[in-house]
Amino acid sequence: MAIKFEQVGYVYPGLAGDSFEALKNINLEISDKGEFITLIGETGSGKSTLVQHMNALVKPTTGNVTVYGIKIHKDVKKKNRKVKLNPLRQKVGLVFQFPEYQLFEETVEKDIIFGPKNFGVSDEEAKERAKEVIKLVGLTENYLIRSPFNLSGGEKKRVSIAGILAMEPDILVLDEPTSGLDPKGRDSLLELFMDIHNKLDNTVVIITHDMNTVYKYASRVLVMSDGELVYDGLPVELFTKANLEEWNLDKPEILEIKEQLEEKLGVSFDQVPRNIDDLYKSLKEVIK
Amino acid sequence: MKSFVIGQYIPGDSFLYKMDPRSKLYALFLLMITSFFLPSIYFMFGMFVFVILFLKIGGINLGRVIKGLKPILILLLFTFGFQIAFIKTGTPLIKETMSFNVLSIAAATLIFFFWIYTKRYVRYKFIYLIVTIFAIISTFIYVSGGYQLGTTGFIVYSDGLLNAAYIMLRLIIIITLSTMLTLTTKPTDLNLGLESMLRPLKVIKVNSEEMAMIISIALRYIPTLLDEANKIMLAQASRGVDFTEGKMKDKVMQIISLLVPMFIISFKRSDDLADAMEARNFVPGNPRTRLHVLSWHTIDSFTIALSISILIASIAVRYFI
Repeated sequence: MAIKFEQVGYVYPGLAGDSFEALKNINLEISDKGEFITLIGETGSGKSTLVQHMNALVKPTTGNVTVYGIKIHKDVKKKNRKVKLNPLRQKVGLVFQFPEYQLFEETVEKDIIFGPKNFGVSDEEAKERAKEVIKLVGLTENYLIRSPFNLSGGEKKRVSIAGILAMEPDILVLDEPTSGLDPKGRDSLLELFMDIHNKLDNTVVIITHDMNTVYKYASRVLVMSDGELVYDGLPVELFTKANLEEWNLDKPEILEIKEQLEEKLGVSFDQVPRNIDDLYKSLKEVIK
Repeated sequence: MKSFVIGQYIPGDSFLYKMDPRSKLYALFLLMITSFFLPSIYFMFGMFVFVILFLKIGGINLGRVIKGLKPILILLLFTFGFQIAFIKTGTPLIKETMSFNVLSIAAATLIFFFWIYTKRYVRYKFIYLIVTIFAIISTFIYVSGGYQLGTTGFIVYSDGLLNAAYIMLRLIIIITLSTMLTLTTKPTDLNLGLESMLRPLKVIKVNSEEMAMIISIALRYIPTLLDEANKIMLAQASRGVDFTEGKMKDKVMQIISLLVPMFIISFKRSDDLADAMEARNFVPGNPRTRLHVLSWHTIDSFTIALSISILIASIAVRYFI
């Protein structure tokens, strides 16, 4: 297992005892091959804190996180000064929600090669990678010479993702990569992650609020609620069985339509549709 | 980081919390002046006891105040050193000669480097520093051997010691008093108090209301910006910027990668804030009503009266007795 959480708890310290427990007793395993994971839950449920544990940006208050064989706990630095956490961040690439937090160079190209160069990639190699990834995220090479601050919100987002992709991480973690994008841009980015996932068999972890994304793409879904990991399994099972209301989630559109149809037509479909074609087929059968 | 409060305000409910910030500011001002009029160490010590008593009655944790003293420890040490070294009146208390010879210089250097390399492992760094200074001085006094470079007297006079204590006490009193103010007054209240104190400056065309607005906005945004800085650091750390493990030559780039987003976000925030204020019909310079209105109580008048009488008493003691 590439990443393993063992009874992880995290507390945001506060003055005068008003500390906030962001994570409670999380047990979780993530492999670095072949998983497409979505992480959902309401705002403030601890999703972002959870993913920041995955590349050792924050250290758990209680319990251990093991990332590529390095055990991270509260005093990991104090106990052993030789432990280097930095290389983990190349293996687990984390894209933050707001691109404003990471863009700082004069040109897009410099910003993209910043990550790889920090991990010891040569200048030429990094520039080659920049040319590749800028196309991957759906922009053209012309963008490389532009200033990252004159881009639109969506373009900034793509550049920030390109900056992480250029590091060639084994596990790609994205904190709400599609927020603030138009539907077309959102779909093309998700297709891109799917593409990367299919081509390299990398694990992708996406935080999202969009149930359709979860249902359409994910092979595994994690649900956070109030700092706890309340569900870990297949999306289909989550949306058909689990208690969605309690976790403030809703159903993907396709399932809503299915249920509406079942109710209005007074029938029941024999299978749970994955996409619009499935639904169409089921509907045809029922009408027949 | 979420619950970060600027200043050191700690909620409580003693009389110090119920006082008007204006009266606290005036009292602080008056008592500070008083500390400069006290003629001798005995009066200074009396005032020190008075301040400590006040802390006790006001229900303030002494530990907090000592924490407030931390930044001036080095200053205190310097003051002490200078007073001891340069005041040469009164009766000599310690009379030794320091000899600078090969052996003692070597030993002192050794102690010095030992201190440099071991200080990071010691919990009470300041006490360790003082012990080291004592060790170095006594090395010069007691170690002899090798080629003699020169000697100098190490004499501590009674006046030097008294004066050092006098000045240190004064510093401690001033810092304690201001810590007392910041511990018991919310930054916003402090700001309101300052504003009303500066109001007379309108005569020379200083708009205290706008200044107060600027200060309160700045205070309001410090935690937000710290939060933001933290997020930027995390975002850059996940791109391999190593804020703790990095080498010295990479530090410049690391700081740039933190500062540039910081500036851009701050500018954007201030733009947004200006728009939001205008959208709620904020016009600079127009009179505004307040949500929190300061109210002056009997205790405030009493405090001011007490502070003024203490000041007058100290002036009287200095010039007429």
